[in-house]
Amino acid sequence: MSFDVSVVLAALPAILSGLKVTLGIWLAAAAMGVVLGFVVAALRHFGPAPLGLALRLVVEVLRGTPFLVQIFLLYFGGPYVGLSLDPVPAGLLGLTVYAAAYFSEIFRAGFAAVPRGHVEAAHCVGLTRAQIVRRILVPEMTMLVLPQCVNMAVILVKETAVLSVIAVPEATGVISAIGSQQYAFLEALFLLAVIYWGLVEACGWAGRMIERRLSKFRFA
Amino acid sequence: MSPRLFELMLKAAGYTVAISVAAIAIGLLIGLLVCAAKLSPRPWLRWPATLFVSFFRGVPLLVQLLLIYNLLPVLGLAVPSVVAALIGLSLCTAAYQAENLRGGFTSVPRGLLEAADMAGLSPWQQFRRIRAPIALRLTVPALVNEAILILKASSLISVVGVVELTRTAQNLAASTYEPLLFYSAAGGLYLAINWLVAAGGSLTERALRRGRLA
Amino acid sequence: MNKRLFVQITLGLGLVMAVPAMAQAQDAQAKDALARVKAEGVLKVGTETAFAPFDFIDATGEHAGFNVDAFAEVGKELGVKIKWVELPWDGVLPALEAGQFNMVAGPATITKARLERYRFLSPVAEATVAILKGAKDDSIQKPEDIAGKTVGAGKATAQLAQLKTYAATLPKPVEMREYPGFNEAYADLAARRIAAVANSLPNIAYVASKQPGTFAVVKPPFGQKSYFGYIGTKKPDDQALLDAVQTALVKIKSDGRMKKLQEKWFGTAFDTPDVAPEPSF
Repeated sequence: MSFDVSVVLAALPAILSGLKVTLGIWLAAAAMGVVLGFVVAALRHFGPAPLGLALRLVVEVLRGTPFLVQIFLLYFGGPYVGLSLDPVPAGLLGLTVYAAAYFSEIFRAGFAAVPRGHVEAAHCVGLTRAQIVRRILVPEMTMLVLPQCVNMAVILVKETAVLSVIAVPEATGVISAIGSQQYAFLEALFLLAVIYWGLVEACGWAGRMIERRLSKFRFA
Repeated sequence: MSPRLFELMLKAAGYTVAISVAAIAIGLLIGLLVCAAKLSPRPWLRWPATLFVSFFRGVPLLVQLLLIYNLLPVLGLAVPSVVAALIGLSLCTAAYQAENLRGGFTSVPRGLLEAADMAGLSPWQQFRRIRAPIALRLTVPALVNEAILILKASSLISVVGVVELTRTAQNLAASTYEPLLFYSAAGGLYLAINWLVAAGGSLTERALRRGRLA
Repeated sequence: MNKRLFVQITLGLGLVMAVPAMAQAQDAQAKDALARVKAEGVLKVGTETAFAPFDFIDATGEHAGFNVDAFAEVGKELGVKIKWVELPWDGVLPALEAGQFNMVAGPATITKARLERYRFLSPVAEATVAILKGAKDDSIQKPEDIAGKTVGAGKATAQLAQLKTYAATLPKPVEMREYPGFNEAYADLAARRIAAVANSLPNIAYVASKQPGTFAVVKPPFGQKSYFGYIGTKKPDDQALLDAVQTALVKIKSDGRMKKLQEKWFGTAFDTPDVAPEPSF
């Protein structure tokens, strides 16, 4: 076994383009997943019961099946029901919906964990429902759910690797293809391991920093 | 879907369950080991355990599996497909389970252990009768969660040559030109399995709370 | 200290589990590959089961194709059973190098780069690359019409490399899409996400014959003439085994069995030399 650094250097531009796609899809899916997840959690918490039940069903299905199967279904099954997306939009949509399901569960637990007394007090002083959400629930919840959100973001980085199966030109797909071309299989695997490990550790570190910054807002 | 193909899907689901169950069990053992090392006062035990957890939680399972399948034989350790898949899934879940267990062990109230000391229980007795049961009870929900995660993660082991549920669906989707049907069926089977695991988990939890187990 | 005991017990358990596995692995290295295969009665062959008509999963869920039949004959000649290891194509060659199986079915296109690294056995079919398009697509009449369009191929394949070389000669750039396997590329062509798939003629001829309403082959092939062969490593340990498989293949060819298999799976017999000619790329 030999490790050839020159292979990595020669392919640097391609590797960087793959990294860019990975980072872009990850950040976009995480951001949209948080927003969509929050909406779902809020609808389940405050919306009419039948809607809540329907959303719960969707969330359970998304959390109970592998991401790989979801992405296969979306990409290869989609055209049969008139949804023919290119790899990158399909990957982005799939990862966002997947992330939203998990984020919504985190937020739901967050809503439930905010002390009832705080909400009641807000009611008493005449805050509207929207104000309660914006001024009481969201800030208090943010502190409660932050560690789990960071955790989920970390899981999402790793899930982007799965998108290579639908020909998304992200890091895993690009780097393993270079590895195959150059017969540098193990080099490619080591490089991938280091890249994701670094991303995950960096994400965890960033999460801890934000947590420390926000800790002054801890109410509950 | 013809009965014959449905049977194939069911068999593949059985395979998925078998490998996942084995991985979770082995992962629990390794997780205990890693947890023990992480709780150890010795840095030369603690440091590698921390690295282990960080690595197996930081690298996508897809990459881990390929590394195990393609690297271990080069280092002189023959690992056929199933073994490689089992090692990959076990080590990955071990890293997560070690953290869950550590959470469990560190939340055993100190007072209980002090009382046990006073009552003259040996360290092994303390471990078996107090620390382990309490930690286990505290980590059951996390363990159930982990089981579901591993069942889903096992969809990736076809990259090292194990034909499980997802791969079977992929094969049949291609040969019958019915991706919608076969991927939905695979999703339905995963859902059913995970629902059973979750139901079993909450039953166990209830039993543990009543003190019938452990 | 209870913690210490706990640590010792668990670490001990771990060692007990690891040692026998290692001992077994070393024992297996003692004999050469041919002796091991004969002793176990099993030839392990790695392949990708998404490469019809060579290797695929048929509509009843069985692994079928030209390779299954051809290796059944090889197995008879060697007096061993065949054990298939199914991987995505980009994982097959790394696993061969790692020693996960004795050889690769595939088959693989015989190229200069691969010849440097692997040993090819007697070619089994022609591998010249052509274009598969949608049956109702009139905009592609000849290979050069793919200029400016999106074309798919399998990741880490020689067909993809040929496509890239050819695309570079065209006036407008071709957008490449690299799939884990050709089945995904065909599915995307059927869904009209891509305009064409580049693959070897026997493969796309088979696909088009199975779904004439969906796919059509664009003639002539654009690639340079090439052959498909089974491969093994150049490790000294493997050579006697590969010699034996080579002898078996040549025998299967000379007594007409190969021709029958080619007619069964490709609809036509190829005139494949016993030894691969020097590849042109």
